[in-house]
Amino acid sequence: MVFTSHIFLFYFLPFVLLFYYLLPKGRNLFLLVVSYIFYGWEEPWFVLLMFLATLVNFICGLFISRPGATHTERHIALVSSIIASLSLLGFFKYFVFMQNNLNSLLSLFGQEAFPVFLVSLPIGISFYTFQSLSYTIDLYRGDARPVSSFTDFACYVALFPQLIAGPIVRYSTIADQLIQREHRIDAFSSGVVLFILGFSKKILLANPMGEIADPVFAAQSPTTLDAWFGVVAYAFQIYFDFSAYSDMAIGLGRMFGFEFLQNFNAPYLADSMTDFWRRWHISLSTFLRDYLYIPLGGNRKGNLRTYFNLAIVMLLGGLWHGASWVFVVWGAYHGIWLAFERWRGKESIYHSLPHCLRILLTFIVVLISWVLFRSTDLLQAGLYLKSMAGMNGSSGGSVLLSAELYNPAHLLPFMASMILSFQPVQAFELAKSLSWWKLVLVSTLFVISVLSLIVQTFNPFLYYQF
Amino acid sequence: MQKDRVTHFTLILFFLALIFVDAASLFTMQLLQNQTPTIFDVVTQPPSQQNLRRFENDLEDSSWLVQQLRPFVQSVRFSMLNDLGKKAVRGLDGWLFYDLDVRYLTERIDKSDAAEEEVVHSILSFRRRLSERGIQLLLVPAPGKPTIYPEELTRRATGMKAPINPWTRKIISRLESEGIQCIDLFTLFTSQKNDPQASLNPTYLIQDTHWSTHGMILAASSVASRLIDLGWTSRGTTDYIQKSISMSRLGDVLKMSKVPGIESVFKPEIVKAAQILHAADRKPYADDPASDILVLGDSFLRIYERDEPGSAGFVSHLACCLKKPLASIINDGGASTLVRQELYRKPDLLKGKKVVIWEFVERDLRFGTEGWQDIPLPEDPAKL
Repeated sequence: MVFTSHIFLFYFLPFVLLFYYLLPKGRNLFLLVVSYIFYGWEEPWFVLLMFLATLVNFICGLFISRPGATHTERHIALVSSIIASLSLLGFFKYFVFMQNNLNSLLSLFGQEAFPVFLVSLPIGISFYTFQSLSYTIDLYRGDARPVSSFTDFACYVALFPQLIAGPIVRYSTIADQLIQREHRIDAFSSGVVLFILGFSKKILLANPMGEIADPVFAAQSPTTLDAWFGVVAYAFQIYFDFSAYSDMAIGLGRMFGFEFLQNFNAPYLADSMTDFWRRWHISLSTFLRDYLYIPLGGNRKGNLRTYFNLAIVMLLGGLWHGASWVFVVWGAYHGIWLAFERWRGKESIYHSLPHCLRILLTFIVVLISWVLFRSTDLLQAGLYLKSMAGMNGSSGGSVLLSAELYNPAHLLPFMASMILSFQPVQAFELAKSLSWWKLVLVSTLFVISVLSLIVQTFNPFLYYQF
Repeated sequence: MQKDRVTHFTLILFFLALIFVDAASLFTMQLLQNQTPTIFDVVTQPPSQQNLRRFENDLEDSSWLVQQLRPFVQSVRFSMLNDLGKKAVRGLDGWLFYDLDVRYLTERIDKSDAAEEEVVHSILSFRRRLSERGIQLLLVPAPGKPTIYPEELTRRATGMKAPINPWTRKIISRLESEGIQCIDLFTLFTSQKNDPQASLNPTYLIQDTHWSTHGMILAASSVASRLIDLGWTSRGTTDYIQKSISMSRLGDVLKMSKVPGIESVFKPEIVKAAQILHAADRKPYADDPASDILVLGDSFLRIYERDEPGSAGFVSHLACCLKKPLASIINDGGASTLVRQELYRKPDLLKGKKVVIWEFVERDLRFGTEGWQDIPLPEDPAKL
């Protein structure tokens, strides 16, 4: 189910809120059941898969936290949890990719390719696998207390507000809230504000930006102007799409008494790539830092090892986004930039320039990475980058793109996206307090967004595919 | 503090009212009309993916809120943003284009795309099956409007040579090299446009996806000449006369926008058509299923023929040129596969046929409804 769908907004959410607050107890069980309905709405059998992943990690958690368990037993339980979770993720997300690569390799040696066994990708598997793993790892490290009830743990893994596209909520963040949480009127209204702001960002900004980016990235050979227009629109689309989901998730969480951490902090105001990763998908970058970078040695094993660790973490981070070489190269590109900036003492190569120029140059570096992220393969990415550099020579029907792109329905949200991307006030901050002017603002935005939703065609969130 | 609580309460109440209003209004109205509320469908059917999608669509379609507000929102978007919706692309000087026609020209076609093989295989297979029955096939790919008039879409395209999409040309060349006869309307329409005298009379309607009566008559004459030149048929003996009719027509691109009152902003085009009548009784042209020629095609055949004014479209004009009635199957948007499926269900229509003329619009090479399936011919009635 999609947050910006008719069924979610007008049926699922109101009824879940109604029954949740009518229930005197058993609210976690209720949230678990409705979360499974939410998740199973697209493909019902995927719920079984999530249940299985939850059960395995819960049992591993029991072994890790069993009183009197030896170090070896705890270690085996942790390794089992990691192997089981990553095998599940590996099979559903990377098996087809591996088969295709093996076939390519075979064809290089003149061997016949074998038929590819297709596997459908369960939505949100990357998110809930990481969340489940955070429980067993935190437990093993002694950073979290064992959960006493399977329902609570399953509720944490499946919690519908952040289930499909994050933010990645660690068990330790909401462990106490699962047992006891406050339902305050101000927290609820702050959740409403965040939900509305996220909803508006998605409907009024991200979707129109997708209408610009999609035809440009699908074009044969766009002109230089169109290529830049397309990739900037995509940068706005992915930011407003993904941060909108996070805002709505955090907002919904607050409506049910949960408090999740901020996931975006004006990423396009970053003045270096190191700064960018402090502001973009914060829950993923901190997860990778704590569960991969630091266990690999972090910066404690010398400079060369630090650069290698950074590169490998980002490369795997890229692969986490999708089973495709474009994501691997995207991750490597970011890894190399981060390692390079680390070598310069966490400073960008353009550190000596004025602040606004540093922001602009960082944005351009990020734009190049978005070309990789959005392209279907490396060849297309290469051609697109050539178009941006004016080296691809627009040909054929691509000349006609301008008729599709440059119209008021696109230019107005483009300008609004640009203004909002490069200003520091974030929805997360706005929602901390409520005044009458904010009430009028968010109410108006909500009405406009709901009206716009009525005429928009179905448009799921970009991060659903990860 | 008290003031804060009022603000919080106001926002929450407003939010809850808005998210509850749709379900509440639908539920109440359906109960008042003694209908079972749609919401109950979710528990009366197994939760399969298909049933859930249907339930979701039913809820949205029956939503009172959506039905009431959609036209209003469309109007506002049009008046504020000049937005005609997803299916329309605004060109210059009042010209309107269909989004799929434009996308066919702008989008990249991957080299590994299996679509080309599917199209070629499907057409060759159809020709082979017809040949086995002694029937000839003549293809009439109709150019998309932006292929012929790209400069009316954007000034950037001024001076651009048609056809823009090399894929169309490639497929037609492949088919021609396999011995398939194709009518080249691309060259015909482009030369018409470039002719200073004829250029005042466009071959396409300004607000519509389809050809103008001028373009349609050019196409029909061209097909008739080719059939005679090839010796696949001869002129008949039926005399037809033409009756001039002038009508106003609101283009299909505007109708697709569904913006209420759009006709007050875009004045309907004045179209001069020539209705084909039997000379003997002055009755409008009518198909003859027993004809030796069968015409298959999409809405390019439907326009003027089966909608206003009737008997003034491609089939009638081709019949007039050939001086004999024809048989036809017309399926809007379904020339790639659906029209042949319909033929499969009508075995009698192939009885006594010598020629099949198959028209399809260029964009269908890629976006044809149901793709390009290999459809068998119906059983030969003579063998039954």
